[in-house]
Amino acid sequence: MSLLGGGIFKGMAVTLRNFVGSYFDKERLTTKEYAWRTDDKLPERAGDYPKEEAEQLSDTTTVTHYSRNFPMLLHDEGEPMDTVRCVACQICERECPPQCIYIEKSKDKMERGGNKAQFYPATFDIDVSVCMSCQICVEVCPFDAIVMNSQFELSTPDRFGGLLLRRDDLLKSNDYYHKIHPEEAAARDKRIADEKAAKEAKKKAAEEAKKKAAEAKAKAEAEAKAKEEAESAEKPAEAPAPTHTDAKKEDNGE
Amino acid sequence: MNWELIGDILLATVPLLVIFPSMFALTTWVERKALARIQNRIGPNKVGVPLTPYGGNLSLFGLGQPAADGIKMLFKENIVPTGADRLFHLLAPILSLIPAMLVLCFLPLEFPWLNGEQNSVKAFMLDGAVIFFFAITGLNTLAVFMAGWASRNKYSLLGGMRAIAQMVSYEIPLVLSAVVVVMIVGSLNAAEIAEAQAGWNWYVFQPWGLAAFVIFFIAALAETNRSPFDLPEAESEIIAGYFTEYSGFKFALFFLGEYIAMFAISGLAVTLFLGAGGGPGVEALPWLKVIWFLAKVCILIGVMIWLRGTLPRLRVDQLMGFAWKFLLPLSILNIFIAGFAWHAKKANEGTAVSVIVWVAALIILYAAAKGLDHVNRAKVKPRTYQYGE
Amino acid sequence: MNEVTAFWILAAISVIGALVAVRKRNLVHGVFALLVFFAGLAGLFLLLLAEFIAVVQILVYAGAVGILILFAIMLTDRVTGKDAFRVTSRGSFWGAIIALAVFLVILLPTIREIPLIENATPKDMIVEQSSVKELGTKLIEPYIVTIEVLALLLTAALIGAVTAAQGGRASEKGENTE
Repeated sequence: MSLLGGGIFKGMAVTLRNFVGSYFDKERLTTKEYAWRTDDKLPERAGDYPKEEAEQLSDTTTVTHYSRNFPMLLHDEGEPMDTVRCVACQICERECPPQCIYIEKSKDKMERGGNKAQFYPATFDIDVSVCMSCQICVEVCPFDAIVMNSQFELSTPDRFGGLLLRRDDLLKSNDYYHKIHPEEAAARDKRIADEKAAKEAKKKAAEEAKKKAAEAKAKAEAEAKAKEEAESAEKPAEAPAPTHTDAKKEDNGE
Repeated sequence: MNWELIGDILLATVPLLVIFPSMFALTTWVERKALARIQNRIGPNKVGVPLTPYGGNLSLFGLGQPAADGIKMLFKENIVPTGADRLFHLLAPILSLIPAMLVLCFLPLEFPWLNGEQNSVKAFMLDGAVIFFFAITGLNTLAVFMAGWASRNKYSLLGGMRAIAQMVSYEIPLVLSAVVVVMIVGSLNAAEIAEAQAGWNWYVFQPWGLAAFVIFFIAALAETNRSPFDLPEAESEIIAGYFTEYSGFKFALFFLGEYIAMFAISGLAVTLFLGAGGGPGVEALPWLKVIWFLAKVCILIGVMIWLRGTLPRLRVDQLMGFAWKFLLPLSILNIFIAGFAWHAKKANEGTAVSVIVWVAALIILYAAAKGLDHVNRAKVKPRTYQYGE
Repeated sequence: MNEVTAFWILAAISVIGALVAVRKRNLVHGVFALLVFFAGLAGLFLLLLAEFIAVVQILVYAGAVGILILFAIMLTDRVTGKDAFRVTSRGSFWGAIIALAVFLVILLPTIREIPLIENATPKDMIVEQSSVKELGTKLIEPYIVTIEVLALLLTAALIGAVTAAQGGRASEKGENTE
């Protein structure tokens, strides 16, 4: 027999404990105040901070690894624009629900990491005042070029230009990605490596198969020729058709 | 022109227009701070009083936040949806504020500067003050519906319909629990009800008074759309309901109206059950009555904020079931109990009898509440989760 | 500012509210105009120092009946309040005739029979006890049986309504889960 409405009192006791406790026990507080932000200076552009602040902001202990805010563009080791993964395919621009991404394709092609030469983004803007952090651009990107950043301190006094992140603001290294989202980045890198390995294996297999097929074809042709010659010697009018179809089948099968 | 009368009326009404809106401003800050602390956050703590126009800021725990919010609200763009009914869209916030402000007049606030002849206007000493209170707060429902309908938005309309259903349902236990006090005092006049409780004779100390107070408080939460009964403005379900299409100053008016209604209904609860202005030292210093009254109102508001930080929102069917299957039968039973208790006390004056009556009434009411709870829960099967665990 | 000015203002509000309520095609607008009419009427009662009737006017008509009508409109397809619907009122002519007849035959003779005090203000007619108290006493003392019978009738009607509403859904009982 429990007290009627006892659950409410229990809950109220819990909230009271939180209320009082948060004044005495600083460990309870989930939010941390920025001690270094003493003057009222705001950066000109979103995400533009003095170096020490930027370091503190990218300190992964301040936010959980699972937080996400706005997208960023990944580049591999090296100069950012030389190793940018984005090929300006504009899939994310088309898929973005609030249409906050604006991409302009480059005129020329650029070679990256030993792959085939591709376009690169001449302009890549994300309006973070429009972005709704849905992560759809990340889902649709076939090149793993766009992922979510966890940087949240983006306030700026300029609400139009300041909140429009340009390509160079968005470019972040893969190391940075590993720092802010270790598990996700590791999983992504593993997948990319696996895919690459699988692709190479497939390529190899395909080459081998091609070779085999070529051999088989050559063999079949040689046999057919030999047969033909033999038949033409004996009975020129009979049975060229079945061998022909057999060879065709083999071709198709390869 | 009777200038003296006009002066008296101003002396009686202007304090109401000053005290309660400033309490509103303070309450928004207190609420944000308290909810933040309940959730182990810090809450607004930056906005303070600017000492010079060029910098320098006296941050009194973020006490400047209400002023900043007010300025922001005033300068925000007034957005009216294309399909909206422009006239009703404009009228709804005004209509929501007027009844809330109007009922403040019926509270027995005895301002010290109103004595003797001026006493006639200290509150609107209508004989039907309590019933007037309920009649006029009932108009708030119409404002909410008007807002929901005029916005031409399905979420808003849903919010408006929810508001009507909820307010109409909870008005019944609200009035029936107040009826108990009216019945015992034998008057609908707020000042007479206050007088009857003078000297720690508060009705909340009686078992029927306690039950009525609890029912009244729960129904008051629902009437003012406070959590856990904030279904009409459920942000996570219907995107703030009838507020959806409101911005800027109109939204501020709604907000103000809601909080003033909270103060008004808390003031009525204080009048009916908590001895109005009664408290230590009022015999010697009569002006303490206003202080005690407002202090009690603030305590009730504090409990409302506390409950908001504690309880999750009810489901619509639970909300209705609670009003009709639990509060209504209990409040009707409470009227009978109060009647019997009053007669038993009147018949024989002994202390023993009154103690027995007190204990018996408490036991009966608790058993009835428990029984109703049991009956209502018996129909509810335990929920099974298909994808849970 | 005296009672006469207040009377004319309140009377104008009531009449305009009533006219708008009748003429408006938009049903929701019409209901709110009707509520304005009720409010004006309550003000007139208050002017006559009949505060209890004024309260009941607001409580029952503006509060309950208005909301009931709004609920009823919300259940029809005119929720949107578009003016495109043509309200067919072919009998408006006969309605006006009947209203006029009621006014001339019943109301006017009744009003004429009441003795008017010359230059009287409502203050002259204040009774010793306030109207709420007197009304309460009257209801309990001479008319107690009538009240009880009426209460019983209304309770029976309420229970009947609940039974009628529940009749079709008896099979759904006990289906809800928490």
